Amino acid sequence: MNNTIMETPTKITHSDDKVTYTRFDISQRIEHIVFLLSFTILGFTGLIQKFSANQISDTFIFLLGGIERVRVIHHYSAIVMMIVSGYHVLVLGYKVFVLRLPWTMLPVIEDLQHLIQDILYFLGFRKHRGYYGRYNYAEKVEYLAVVWGTVIMGLTGFMMWNPLSTTQFLPGDVIPAAKAAHGAEAILAVLAIVVWHFYNVHIKHFNKSMFNGKLNRTEMKHEHPAELAKIEAGQEGKHLPLKVIRRRQQVFFPAALIFTVAFGFGIVKFANYEVTALTTVPQGETAQVYVPVTPTPRPSPTPPPTLEPGEEVGAMTWDGYFSGLFRNRCSTCHGVTKVSGLSLSTYQDALKGGDSGPAIVPGNPDNSVLIQKQSLGNHPGQLTIDELDQVIAWIMAGAPEK
Amino acid sequence: MRSGRRHLIIFLIGAILICSLSVILLVTNVIAAPIGRVSNSISPEHASLALTDTGPIVSNETCLGCHGQPGLTMTLQNGDILDLYVDPATYAASIHGHGGYACVQCHTNLGDYPHPAFTASNLRDVTLQLTSVCDRCHSGEYNLTMDSVHATAQAAGKREAAVCTDCHGSHNVQQLTDPVTHELLPEARLSIPATCAKCHNAIYEKYRTSVHGAALTEESNTNVPTCIDCHGVHNIGNPTTAAFRLKSPELCASCHTNPELMDKYGISTDVLNTYVADFHGTTVTLFEKQSPDAQTNKPGGYDCHGIHDISRVDDPKTGIDMQQNLLARCKVCHPDATSNFPNAWMSHYIPSPEHYSLVYYVNLFYKFFIPLVLGFMVALVGLDVGHSVYVKSRRGRHLPQPLPSEGQSHLESESPTQSQTEHNVELKTSPSETGEQDDPSENHSEEANHE
Repeated sequence: MNNTIMETPTKITHSDDKVTYTRFDISQRIEHIVFLLSFTILGFTGLIQKFSANQISDTFIFLLGGIERVRVIHHYSAIVMMIVSGYHVLVLGYKVFVLRLPWTMLPVIEDLQHLIQDILYFLGFRKHRGYYGRYNYAEKVEYLAVVWGTVIMGLTGFMMWNPLSTTQFLPGDVIPAAKAAHGAEAILAVLAIVVWHFYNVHIKHFNKSMFNGKLNRTEMKHEHPAELAKIEAGQEGKHLPLKVIRRRQQVFFPAALIFTVAFGFGIVKFANYEVTALTTVPQGETAQVYVPVTPTPRPSPTPPPTLEPGEEVGAMTWDGYFSGLFRNRCSTCHGVTKVSGLSLSTYQDALKGGDSGPAIVPGNPDNSVLIQKQSLGNHPGQLTIDELDQVIAWIMAGAPEK
Repeated sequence: MRSGRRHLIIFLIGAILICSLSVILLVTNVIAAPIGRVSNSISPEHASLALTDTGPIVSNETCLGCHGQPGLTMTLQNGDILDLYVDPATYAASIHGHGGYACVQCHTNLGDYPHPAFTASNLRDVTLQLTSVCDRCHSGEYNLTMDSVHATAQAAGKREAAVCTDCHGSHNVQQLTDPVTHELLPEARLSIPATCAKCHNAIYEKYRTSVHGAALTEESNTNVPTCIDCHGVHNIGNPTTAAFRLKSPELCASCHTNPELMDKYGISTDVLNTYVADFHGTTVTLFEKQSPDAQTNKPGGYDCHGIHDISRVDDPKTGIDMQQNLLARCKVCHPDATSNFPNAWMSHYIPSPEHYSLVYYVNLFYKFFIPLVLGFMVALVGLDVGHSVYVKSRRGRHLPQPLPSEGQSHLESESPTQSQTEHNVELKTSPSETGEQDDPSENHSEEANHE
């Protein structure tokens, strides 16, 4: 920070409007704009998260690309604000330790006097406002609120950003408490800006000094009469001997470098302190989905009779082959239901036959009704030609049962 | 010749009459069918419609003459044995038996004897072929199942995927809903999990041990959810999608925010709003609203409480009210979590002096701090505004016409006519108030010096 802030008027004319005083140098103005932008983005992206159930918030979150994107924007803005704050601390250190400028932002008893004077003035008990210096109580309140707010928001923000690390040292309920404080503090900050800052700096009288850096003499008279008086009395802007400044700089700059490195490291750590959660989606149901109950729910029909042990499977006998063939092909009608009086369930039933006579006459296929009917080729449950040949061969062989 | 013409006219009139009559009949039939389909209920038209397909009505006695004999079977091509026996008592006790429906109304192609050739080559074929007949009377439900995960699986060639009869049975279909209210009957509710278990037995075994499943299977409690309360009935969706997961908190909430139901068991109904207010719930809710098909790693209700094995929160082994159990759950997504971490989640409590008092007192502090600070600011701003309005109105009365740049010009001591304005007064009287300060009036002379 240079010491020209409170220098004498840069240009003198007979009109006070033309006489200007440099109030904020270019670095302060840039600092303000960066802080303002990060504050606005943080406030906006924060409040739509806090009130995410609200339809308007919902719309904004959607327009910004979803809640995860809003969080990323919020985090980046927070980093910007932290960098600006760190820079501010550095500059403050330089002004106070190297230039030995006074702590003009610290509240003093006089500020309380000005406040009381102003209230009396508003109520008509006094004829004039307080006689403000470089910063009046309204500006000091706002500055200190920003300092307080940034510290609170930074701390609680860190806790929410890094809940695992925080709960290694602090109890778990600190996290929801941090969230509560973060949200409430945000509301306070935004409303204070709207009510206090907007009124005092923009509505009452648009103070452009934060953008063009200057206040004219009239504005100075209104808003900082005591400072103006000091300037014009030549009490401000006394240059320190260059030697003294150099000596102090030799101490300050290394310290500032260490601070900068440490602060930069801190910010990187802040943003990447921990991997809070896996990015993979938690696994759903782990049980196998299709596991039918055994035995199958469908009632199982009576199993086919098993062959006698030692008996040749598929022997061309009633028991070995033909009882199975007839059960498969014929028993739907000629089983228990005995359509046309015929059942082929047992060997005896087959020999006995139905209404048309014996189904099987051993040794005589031509007289066996089964062969007669099947040979026509249109019987329901028609045997194949191969099967029919097997039956004929079996009958010719005497239709052995076993 | 003449009589021939008369005959022709009579023939034409008759033909027209017959044609129009048949058209009318056709149209009414066509109309009747869709109406029946939409209403999902069985109407007499359907019964007669079914009968027309099979020609003369074949009585159930005729069918049961053969099929009422136990042991009547048929071996299919793959060796499966198809049981052709129908227990007359079972059928009579079924909803269709009660309604007096004929066998041939479902088995429409079996009205003639001998029956036509059987094309099913195995038991599953039999079921899959026959299940389409349900569509004839229950097309509403049938169409819903066409949207289900089961139909999708069938289409993908998974023949074991459930069709109508796998759940409802065939000859033993039971009444499941109240005929008047159409609400599920209590005994039907109790039978649902076992029905699904026929194919989803591993999941059923989990459900049976859960707080809900145990209440249903052991205490016959019909308040608890069965499979269908979460998965739906006929149009059962795929529960492994992002959309289903994002919707799961609402599923739980459909019962757990119902005070009538929850009061019986002393369970909080704040579970949804406390979840939504938290980081996880906020994320899931927004995803559900804005991008229902996108996955998020933030947990929904079942990621913490379990899916089919949801247990009581105070169960010593699995309940997540137990700190060590909750920590295990947290670690699924937060592997580095330590013992303090689970407390970062307020366990569905609304902060109070008893629960999460720190949060409660932070909120309480700001409840007073915010109005206090803002009240102070608003009061000062209000006083300032009020004062300037008052001054302006007074000036309006005293001055004949407002000066173009009054705010600034009246400051000048060169404009003595405005000596009454507050600014002049302020500047003139300041020195006496703050003795050590320079007199602003001297500034003018200084300025003059500069000039």
